[in-house]
Amino acid sequence: MKTLMTLLTGAALAGSLTTAQANEIVVGGKNFTEQQILASMTSQYLDALGYDVEKRSGMGSAVLRQAQENGQIDLYWEYTGTSLINYNDVTERLSPDETYSRVKELDAEKGLVWLEPSEANNTYALAMREADAEERGIESLSDLSQAVNDGEALTFALNAEFYAREDGWRPLQQAYDFRVGRGDVKRMDSGLVYQALRDGQVEVGLVFATDGRIPAFDFRVLEDDQAYFPAYALTPVVREETLEANPELAEQMNALSGLLTDATMSRLNARVDVEKVTIERVAETFLEEHDLL
Amino acid sequence: MPTLNLSGALRLLVLVAVFLAGIWSQSSGVIDDFLFYLPDIQFLAVQHLWLTAVSGSLAILVAIPLGTLLSRPSMARVAESAMQVLNVGTTIPTLAVLALSMSFLGIGTVPAVFGLFVATLLPITRNTYTGLKGVSPALMEAAAGIGMSPAQRLLKVELPNALYVIFAGIRTALAINIGTVPLAFLIGAGGLGELIFTGIDLYDPVMMLSGAIPTALLAVVVDMLVAITAFLVVPRGVNPSRA
Repeated sequence: MKTLMTLLTGAALAGSLTTAQANEIVVGGKNFTEQQILASMTSQYLDALGYDVEKRSGMGSAVLRQAQENGQIDLYWEYTGTSLINYNDVTERLSPDETYSRVKELDAEKGLVWLEPSEANNTYALAMREADAEERGIESLSDLSQAVNDGEALTFALNAEFYAREDGWRPLQQAYDFRVGRGDVKRMDSGLVYQALRDGQVEVGLVFATDGRIPAFDFRVLEDDQAYFPAYALTPVVREETLEANPELAEQMNALSGLLTDATMSRLNARVDVEKVTIERVAETFLEEHDLL
Repeated sequence: MPTLNLSGALRLLVLVAVFLAGIWSQSSGVIDDFLFYLPDIQFLAVQHLWLTAVSGSLAILVAIPLGTLLSRPSMARVAESAMQVLNVGTTIPTLAVLALSMSFLGIGTVPAVFGLFVATLLPITRNTYTGLKGVSPALMEAAAGIGMSPAQRLLKVELPNALYVIFAGIRTALAINIGTVPLAFLIGAGGLGELIFTGIDLYDPVMMLSGAIPTALLAVVVDMLVAITAFLVVPRGVNPSRA
């Protein structure tokens, strides 16, 4: 019996060693909470499925995309609008579905495959403290533009990436026809914007729509009434070569993608940013709830 | 026709290289790319220097009296352990100091100045202490012998003799300070780190260098200014660079 067990274990080990070579997957992630959760979740999920996973998160979008095109990253979660405007320089206004099919088509030429999009749309947004917005009578970005042009003293907190992106700060000001002076814009790490806004160090902050701190800190998200921002559907993007080497991967990632909605992401983000639970723990709990571990 | 010695040839070679680099950068349009960031560079460099000036002056104002106090004979027993604490403090990464100060001072200029202050304080205190301890006992004995009070000895003998070492500490500390300010961007205090970190995020080397090169230049310029000050301030008789 004992020898049989040893043999079996030995065979299993040998088996896992040979498959590990073929199934090595590098999972990437960007530098804000939602992305860190997704990277951790994906790593744990694929690890449980028997892949040999390496996780690399904490990069800026452009760096991560570059790494994926170079083959240093196999898989990460990207937002449709980000690829459309920043990596493919498309300036047309497209519906969410058109956005998805367009990036799927354009990125296929670069050997990148967009799998099934989730229902989570993590758009950029500008937010203000509820009471402050109420007092100033600002509900939409047009109201905000009006207020800036009327000379109200408003300071802004933005993250580094948004300030310089093609779907970012300068084009936004052009679209809504207002101009904020250099000294009234404070740039900082994405995660600090919420704190700066809450503590009254700025009047307006750049937020991600699915961030859990928006309800927790009682922020008002200003309506994008001119529809400036594109759709940002959260979608797993994988290198074609990786999919060819791992035929089941697409289906496995689509199963995960199907579980994510705005409400789900907001809840997961809040667990980390508001309740201070560790990223790994939050990702693990989510997978356990859905019997994926 | 004077013969070129080796160092002269080397100097000429460097000049030619600089000249060629200039031609290349002009033709490739890199200069225009940098000029695009000029308003940003100016705005942020002022912010950058402001952070260094405030944190650096505070550190100098606190560190020199502190180092002097520790070097007094009455403090001898405390001084060694205090220096050990300062030595350990020096090894804490500044990023960690900034993160810690952010946790109890919030974000923005205040925690950044505090974090930089702590990082700058240690080298100056240590050099002040070492410089004062290093004054030759023979000099001190002579000073006592001609009837100087302890206060006179400190002001007339010890400090002038230690000044050169103290200035060396200030130079080191300020160079570290300027090189560290970019990290202050991460806690929302601005500075040239804004260009460096945005450049990294966006994979834009020109933007990154627009922050990094001015930072390096500022460090070199400030170091030179302190060196010139030291040259002028430290009395001739105890100044190695004017001996």
